[in-house]
Amino acid sequence: MNLLTQAVISGLMIGAVYTFLGIGLVLVYRTARILNLAHGESFAITGVAAALLVGKAGLPLPLSLVLAIVAALAFAMSLHRLVLRPRAEWPPGTLILITLGAAFVVRGVLILAAGTDPVSFPALFGGMPLRIAGGVIPQQGIALVVLGFGISAAVAVYLGATRSGKQLLAAAENPYAAELLGVNVERARLTAYGIGGLLGALAGVLLIPLIAVDFQSGLAMTLRGFIAAAISGMSPVGVIFGGLGLGLFESFVGAYLGALYQDPVMFCILIIVALWQSRKIRFGGSRRA
Amino acid sequence: MIKKLLVFTAAATLAVPLDAQEKTWLIGEVAPLTGPAATVGTRLNNVSKMWVEEINAKGGINGRKLELATCNDENRPEKAVACARDHIDKGAVMIFGNSLTASLRAIQPLVRQGPILLIPSPNVVPPADSYGFQVSPSDLHLTEAIASYMKANQLTKMGMVAATDASGEVGVESAKKVFGDQKLELKLARIDLRATDATTQLAQVAGSDVKLVYSSYTGGGAVTVVKSFKILGLPQPLMVSYGNMSEAFVSLIKDVKPARLMGTSVAALVPELLADPGERQRAQAFLVAYAKRYQERPDMINLLGKAAVDVAEAALRNVKNPMDFAAVKKYLESTPIPSIQNQRFSPTNHVGLDASKVIIVELKGEGWSKADPIK
Repeated sequence: MNLLTQAVISGLMIGAVYTFLGIGLVLVYRTARILNLAHGESFAITGVAAALLVGKAGLPLPLSLVLAIVAALAFAMSLHRLVLRPRAEWPPGTLILITLGAAFVVRGVLILAAGTDPVSFPALFGGMPLRIAGGVIPQQGIALVVLGFGISAAVAVYLGATRSGKQLLAAAENPYAAELLGVNVERARLTAYGIGGLLGALAGVLLIPLIAVDFQSGLAMTLRGFIAAAISGMSPVGVIFGGLGLGLFESFVGAYLGALYQDPVMFCILIIVALWQSRKIRFGGSRRA
Repeated sequence: MIKKLLVFTAAATLAVPLDAQEKTWLIGEVAPLTGPAATVGTRLNNVSKMWVEEINAKGGINGRKLELATCNDENRPEKAVACARDHIDKGAVMIFGNSLTASLRAIQPLVRQGPILLIPSPNVVPPADSYGFQVSPSDLHLTEAIASYMKANQLTKMGMVAATDASGEVGVESAKKVFGDQKLELKLARIDLRATDATTQLAQVAGSDVKLVYSSYTGGGAVTVVKSFKILGLPQPLMVSYGNMSEAFVSLIKDVKPARLMGTSVAALVPELLADPGERQRAQAFLVAYAKRYQERPDMINLLGKAAVDVAEAALRNVKNPMDFAAVKKYLESTPIPSIQNQRFSPTNHVGLDASKVIIVELKGEGWSKADPIK
């Protein structure tokens, strides 16, 4: 077995997870100016719901996944429509805290529904793993890498190159001006939360068969997404490269330096990037994340 | 006359609740019921609850019923300390330290003058001059059992994947000590608790010259290791830690089970292997009762919880005043305690079991039994 190849494969898979979760956070942030700390709950809801529907209710896997994704989507959109929108005039910090509260509510519901033990469900893409240059990648892993980066790139293109994508961004930059120009700001934000929830759910569908999920996985996934999003300066394109870089970096540090070095090195880089990004604020100019 | 009657009535009214209060032994429990270690805390809490209900249904111990006060520390040391302080302030006769390494280490200094702290975790070895008593074999004992199994199978090298948390650190220290002493080679890779892939770590430690791979990881992370092991198609037997013997874990990995899945456990997990008829009978009775109550087979964590409640019960039954913590300590240090595997403490050793009580088990079908040799 070739450690270098395996580290690259592992890095691509980890990077796809960072990107998948990061792009959803960026999308909501760039549309509603809120850091949604309940973003990872879509991942956890999808995983736990699918595992229960397959394992306990005995439903077929595809149907279970569809129902689980619908549940995650419903959560994400309800969070905006029922909880955040009626409080739109509240300070952003308070709204962010509300999203954190929502994450803990989901935790409580999941622990009641599935208990504290981790759960999982079968891979959507089964079959023999692919062996390349001394490394091994499961077919589910290939799907994770291709769809993770592919869908994230599609979202970035949608935001940057399409009329409706630009309307989403305009809804955050200047909601009043956007409304005067005919943009339905509320619909744009609801759409953003919906797409964010869908991305979190898809991340769950692709990743959870390779690991396991439990009631507390959501916040851990939000943190992953946040690291990728923060390192990219909340840029839809940047988060793809940020996620890829983080994944490869994490894998190589783990393989060649040891996992004990992962956090110190990664958070040092995060601080350096944050300082770099804020240089114009500190030394004049108007650029901000 | 009326005045006397009023005084008598008032005295009787006040006396009833006081009397009822005195008839209860308060058992404190510190357990992570939520958070990353909830799977451990709830398993141990299940056993505590079951024990208290059974005792109370029979009228209590020496006329006193038990009251279980469970405090959720979320496996956070600062919360564990607050929980333990609260139990001590409320007059707990005994504390079940049903949490993990960091929390238990934080609690230990609080019980320098008692009450007795019962520790089911293998990772925290209490000093012999303390009021802490470990009812499991230590992590060193578990590692010695692995080393003995390797020697019996003429293996000289083992690959090990350990988490980067406090429990993983204890496992690494034990492995380095035992393997160093016994001239066995250890290939070690650490894995972050948040890891979503363990193929790189396994690629580091599972070369063709390594005939056994050990993962000291517990919970969701252990599932990631097993799945990555399967993805790589590694031919070696995979040994998982004592925390992964549960029915839930087995069910979770049944479709990705390596060719051979092994684990470390106290022998009571397979009662027919116990030579002592009393131990065998008690272990079997517990396995049946637990399965009946919770509709799942107990695992090693449940068994360690049972050992803790047996020690507590023995002390409450046999020490004249269990609130005299020095007397309880002396009793435990001088008396073997009958349990699923009998506990033997001494004035110089507060660990109730040793390496001879540990077995290497193997998953055959859906149950664990004694591991076959490695060819």
